[in-house]
Amino acid sequence: MDRNLFAVLILVYLELSMRAGTSPVCPSGQAGCHVPSLADLFNRVIQQSSRVHAISSDLHSEFEQYFFPSKNFLGKGKCHTYGIMTPADKENAQRLGRDQLTEVILRLLGAWEDPLSQLYHSMSQDQNQDFNHYSSNKALEISDMVHELRDGVTKVAEKMKLLGVLGNYVGYTIPETLPPSSAFYFNKKGEVTSMDHLVLLYCFRRDSNKVKNYLRILKCTTLPVLDC
Amino acid sequence: MRRDLRLALLLLLSAALESNSMSPPGKPVLLGCRSPEKETFTCWWEPGPDGGLPTTHRLYYERERLEGIHECPDYQSAGKNSCFFDKNHTSIWVDYFLTVVAFNDLGNATSDPLKMDVMEIVKPDPPENVTLLVKDIEDSPHLHVGWQRPQNTDTESGWVTIKYKLRVKQENNKKWKEYMSGTQTHFSLYSVSPGVEYSVQVRCRLDHGFWSEWSNTSHVKIPDYLQDKRPFGILVSTLCVITFIATMCILVMKRKYLKKCFLPPVPGPKITGVDFTLLKSGPTEDAINSLNQNFPLMVAWKDQMEDYLIVTENDIGLEPHPFISQKRKNRSMFSSSGFCFHSEIQSQDSRLSLNEQEKAGKRNHEIQQFVKSNKSLSGTSLSNIEQTQQCSHKQQGTIINFGITEATQQSRSHHDNTVKPLTDSGYVDIRRHEENTEEVDVKTLQYSRVKEMNSDNTLILEKENVSRPGYMDVQRQENTEGYSRVKEVEGDSMIIVQKQILSSDTYYKETGNNSIDCDLQMPRGLTGFSKVGVCAELDSGYVDTIPVTHLM
Repeated sequence: MDRNLFAVLILVYLELSMRAGTSPVCPSGQAGCHVPSLADLFNRVIQQSSRVHAISSDLHSEFEQYFFPSKNFLGKGKCHTYGIMTPADKENAQRLGRDQLTEVILRLLGAWEDPLSQLYHSMSQDQNQDFNHYSSNKALEISDMVHELRDGVTKVAEKMKLLGVLGNYVGYTIPETLPPSSAFYFNKKGEVTSMDHLVLLYCFRRDSNKVKNYLRILKCTTLPVLDC
Repeated sequence: MRRDLRLALLLLLSAALESNSMSPPGKPVLLGCRSPEKETFTCWWEPGPDGGLPTTHRLYYERERLEGIHECPDYQSAGKNSCFFDKNHTSIWVDYFLTVVAFNDLGNATSDPLKMDVMEIVKPDPPENVTLLVKDIEDSPHLHVGWQRPQNTDTESGWVTIKYKLRVKQENNKKWKEYMSGTQTHFSLYSVSPGVEYSVQVRCRLDHGFWSEWSNTSHVKIPDYLQDKRPFGILVSTLCVITFIATMCILVMKRKYLKKCFLPPVPGPKITGVDFTLLKSGPTEDAINSLNQNFPLMVAWKDQMEDYLIVTENDIGLEPHPFISQKRKNRSMFSSSGFCFHSEIQSQDSRLSLNEQEKAGKRNHEIQQFVKSNKSLSGTSLSNIEQTQQCSHKQQGTIINFGITEATQQSRSHHDNTVKPLTDSGYVDIRRHEENTEEVDVKTLQYSRVKEMNSDNTLILEKENVSRPGYMDVQRQENTEGYSRVKEVEGDSMIIVQKQILSSDTYYKETGNNSIDCDLQMPRGLTGFSKVGVCAELDSGYVDTIPVTHLM
């Protein structure tokens, strides 16, 4: 029994320590507490966003190959984040400024937490698909990662505010009201089709790519150019 | 009529031809689009059959968050059948819906629409200025590969993140080996062999987009760094070779010792009393004898002395039979018709050869010599007897030719024509072996003693069997009893025996003629004598007169 308890404790410790993006930030810079620099935070966040995008791309391609072999998906369906104004190219993103860029990032991340958890639930409940187990696990993983990413970006923003490079009201402005994601991706009856999953994944892939790009631009505009 | 028909046909044909050659254009096909730096992109299409008329192609697109249908802004920059979208017309993370329309005078054709997002079509240009440097740090050469990012990519603003990959190949090998370089624009290759030429290629990709094409191959040859180390290596290898050769020589010279030491001889089997070395050379008599030493010797009964003088009678029919001189163990060839006891004795061993032509005066002497020599012949055959012509000299009377083997003083005086009694055993030894095969021991022979001599010169032999041990006659009697003496030697080869009337059992009368008529056909013993003389049966053909004691 002692052995089992010990093993469980070790596993719990590892689980907690392995979480990315959750390293404690020392509030007052006490001695012995490792305070990550802004560059470190940015790197961690960028890595996390890169991972999120990779997993979302995999999920989407798997779904597309499994259910819709014809690649030319001509659906003109919109994503539920259509309302969020995002820069569509480099110049626009650079012109936007750090504050608004950070805002956009936070909004995007915040808009996807619910749909992803819903996706996980609907995928795990659907018993028709053979690879559902593998994909549902990925969906769960993605929802967790997005949550962590949002926390990380929040911390970065805090750090930037501390450093004075970011406006103090970033993250507190009232976001545009977004339509509930359930209206976009899931019909009102509550039934979910594979087409819905595909659209959702397609939209999410695009938005994760945006986040990744925006974060990089944010980093390179905030930090010295050496790291970029 | 015919002309009209022809004209009509021609017109129809021309119309048909014309209608076949001209048609609305075929449907073009949109091949794809590509963005090298995530800021601009280009699309290509393939035109369909033009229908024989000049056709033009136009690309129209619709875009998400943009109203209306727009046409391609630039048809030239990217080449033929292409459309280039510059930065102003490029938006990321929005869907484009592209179509190409072919126009000619007869009609148009629209291709299938293509939906694309710039985010998905990113494929950069290959890296530039790939440089290879051979760096020698602490005598370990390594290859330093350096390159530059594609010119049009913007990494300073962080818009794109380029990741590189390179591959290396040796000159004679066909397999490439790939290495990931991450975001660095240089790479160090440590597993290089001196003297080998290497080929290097680099490619890159933006974020998670497509990999670019491989850059142009760069070649480099690693210089040989072992020049200065060669003498040392040669020295070491030479020493090793010399040591090896010396060791081998020692081993070869001492191989016997080594063989004895490492491979001791295995003792073979032994049988007491038998020497295997004898058997090695093959079966010989000695070896066989040694093997058979425990067995009783079976002496062939043939191993008898067999050297007898043959007493022959004068017989017309007698012809000289060559008697083969034989050794002790060989006997054969005896005249069965009779025997001539020739004074002329010819031994084939040529020790004695009495020639007829020799003087008679020497006859006795010769005989004596012969007899003497016969004495010395221990057991050798006196059977080198040859019938001479004396046998034919029957008209000379009954002459019994003896080869007296034992020379005595009396015999010497034979030439004196004096009759002297033979004190020695000048007896005729007749061998008969048929009757005696069962009875007589192998070694015993039967001898007959001449008992008396008739007046008419017949020998009367004793009937008694004289057995002698050995092959020689043991019976030595000094007395003259039963012996006949040679009276005289007549002629070359004739001995006249003195008549002696002795007690004898048998008497034989001479028959009409003076010839000895022997019925030797019958295997008879000594009893089968004719009165003429000695008719010893001569299956063996010998009359042994050799005394044992003298010859033994």
